[in-house]
Amino acid sequence: MFNKIKKWLEVRIGLDDLTRTQLTEYRVPKNVNIFATLGFVALAGYALEVISGIFLLIYYTPHPDHAFRSVQDIMTRVPYGWLFRQMHVMGSNILIAVVMLHMVTVFLMGNYKRPRELTWVGGGLMLLVTLTFGLSGYLLPWTQLSYWATTVVTSMPTAFPYVGDFIARLLRGGDYISGITLGRFFALHIAILPPVFLSLIALHLFLIRRIGISATPFGTSDEEKRPLTEYKKKTYPDGSPYYPYFFRKQLLMVMIYVAVMFFLITFMPAMFSPDEANTPANPLKTPFHIRPEWYFLAPYQMLKLIPNKFLGISIQIILVGIFLLWPFLDSQKEKNVFKRPVLRGVFTFLLALWVVLMFWGKY
Amino acid sequence: MRYLFISLLVIFILPSFAVGGYKEEFEREFMSQPWAGEQAEENACIACHVSDKMEPKLKNIPQNWQMSIHYENNVSCHDCHGGDPMDAAMSMSRQRGFIGAPKYTEVPEFCGKCHIGILKNYLESGHGKALKKTGKGPNCVTCHGSHKEEQFIQKANIDIINEQRCTKCHSYERAMIMKQALFFTEKKIGELEDNFKSLKKEGVFTADDEKPLFSTQAEFRALFHTVDVSLVKERTDEFRKRIDIIEKNIQDTFGELRFRKNFSAFILLLFTGMGVVLFLISKTPKE
Repeated sequence: MFNKIKKWLEVRIGLDDLTRTQLTEYRVPKNVNIFATLGFVALAGYALEVISGIFLLIYYTPHPDHAFRSVQDIMTRVPYGWLFRQMHVMGSNILIAVVMLHMVTVFLMGNYKRPRELTWVGGGLMLLVTLTFGLSGYLLPWTQLSYWATTVVTSMPTAFPYVGDFIARLLRGGDYISGITLGRFFALHIAILPPVFLSLIALHLFLIRRIGISATPFGTSDEEKRPLTEYKKKTYPDGSPYYPYFFRKQLLMVMIYVAVMFFLITFMPAMFSPDEANTPANPLKTPFHIRPEWYFLAPYQMLKLIPNKFLGISIQIILVGIFLLWPFLDSQKEKNVFKRPVLRGVFTFLLALWVVLMFWGKY
Repeated sequence: MRYLFISLLVIFILPSFAVGGYKEEFEREFMSQPWAGEQAEENACIACHVSDKMEPKLKNIPQNWQMSIHYENNVSCHDCHGGDPMDAAMSMSRQRGFIGAPKYTEVPEFCGKCHIGILKNYLESGHGKALKKTGKGPNCVTCHGSHKEEQFIQKANIDIINEQRCTKCHSYERAMIMKQALFFTEKKIGELEDNFKSLKKEGVFTADDEKPLFSTQAEFRALFHTVDVSLVKERTDEFRKRIDIIEKNIQDTFGELRFRKNFSAFILLLFTGMGVVLFLISKTPKE
C-alpha cells in the first residue's frame, strides 16, 4: 500500500529526486551547532500557534460584549479549550523568546554578513511582525490587563507632533480603545498579519536554501573574504546529510520546546494571567501597575526614563532601523565576533541594558 | 556610515527641541496616568484630614479608613458623607451634597443608604426598637466600628459577636445561642471565600460562582440582623442548600484543575520521552 502511494507520487512529482536533492544529498557543515536549529524550532512554534489559533477562532467572538465571556467559555466549557488557549498563550511567549535567541546567536556568529543581508532583513521584519502579532492578540480577550496595556501602547505614537494623533486614532479607530479597536486588532491578528508573515517565511526559507546554510565561524575561517562579484551557492560536499542527522537535531530541539511549553502549562498555568487578566475590561476604572507584556517592557521603561518623549520614541525607531539594516552598516569582513572587541562590547552592553530595563520596567 | 549616523541624529533631535511645548502636553496626557506608574491622588478630604491643621482626633480618620472593608471595596469619603473630593474649596459644601457626620440615632439610616436589606431587618429587631425607643440602643457602629479613634469598619464576621461587646448592654447567653446558630453557615462561607482566593491565583475566572455566594452571604447576614434565633435556625437549611451548590461547583473546578495538571504533565512526559529517544538515536557512530 505504502509502496503504491510512493510510486503514484514518484510518477507525478518525482518524489525520489525531491527527497534526494532536498534531504539526503543536501549537506550541512560538520561543525554546525545546536543554535542553528533555533530557526526550525521557531517555525515549529509558529505552526503550533496557527493550529491552536484556528481552534480558538472557532469559539472566540470579537465583540466587546462577548469577547471576555467567549474566552472564559473556551477556558471552562469547551472541551480541552483550556489546552489550546494555554498552548496559544504560553507558545506565543516562549516563541518570542526563541526568536530573540535565534537573532542573538545569528548575530554572534556573524551569519548576517554578505551574502545573507536579505535573509537578516527578512528575519528582522518577521520579528517585528511577531511582536505585532503579540500586541494585537493581547487585546482580544478584552480583559482589564489587555484593555489598559493596549491603551498604553497605542498612546505611544501621540508623542509625535502632527502625525502622532492621527496614527493613534488610526490604531484605535477613535479616541479610545473601543469595539472598533477590537475589530481592527482582530482583523490584524487573523487576516492581515498571517499572509504578510507567510510571505516573509517563504522569502527567508528560499534565501537560506538558495544561498546555502552558513558555516559556524568559530575555529574556522572558511568564508570568502574576497569581494563578492557573482552568485555562488555555499555547499558542503564533505558535510553531513541534512536528513536524518541535522533533521533529528532539529526535531530534538522542537521536543525540548514543546516540553518547556507543557512544563509551564503544568506547573505555572497562571504565569501570564495576573488578576487583571481575569477581570473583564472596564474603560471607566484604571487598574494600578498596568504594564505591557514582557517583550515590550524594555522599550516601555526606556520611554519612561527619557524626559522628552519624542526623542525617546525617535531613538527607538532609529534603533529598530539600525537593527534591521545592520548588515549594510557593518562593513567589516571578520565574521567571528570574538575577534571584534568593540562590536562585542557594544552588543553585550545593549543586551545587558535590555535585561536591566526589562526588570526595571516590571517593578 | 558616520555621516549617516550624524544626519539621522540631527533629523530626529532638532524637531524634538522644536516641539518642546508638545512634551508637557504629552506628559500630562500619557505619563501621569496611573498606568505610567503613579496614581495622581486628588482627594481633598484626605489631603486636609492628614494635614497638620486638622485637630488630632480627626487626623487619623484617613488611616483608619484605609484599614476598613470600605477601602478594600473602593468606598471613599464622599460615598457616605457626600461633598466633592475633587474640589478643596467646595468639598464640604451642602450644595455638593455634603451631609457630614450623622447623629447617633441617625447612623442606621446613614449606613442603610447602601445596606438596605440589613437596615430593614435591624429596624424590626430588638436592637433597632431599643434605639428608636430610648435613643441609646446599639446602632451599626456599636458592633462594626467606624473610623473614629483606633477603630475601622470591620468586614462582617462572626467574631464581632463576642462576650466583651454584647455584655456592654445585656447578658451573653442569647448572643451565644445566636452565634452557635450562625456558626456552621458562616464557617462554610469563610471556607468558600478562601477557595475562591486560591482559584483566582490559579487564573480561574470565578465571578459566576462568587455572585451567588455574595448574595447568599448578604441575605444570611441581613437575616441575622433580626437578632431572632428561632428565625435564623428555621431558615439556615435553605441557606445551606444554596451554599452546597456553590461548594459543589468549586469542588468540580478543583477537580478540573487537577485533571488539567495531570493531562499536561502527561504530554510533558510524552515529549520529554520522544526527546530522549531522539537524543539517543541522533548520536549514531556514522556521524
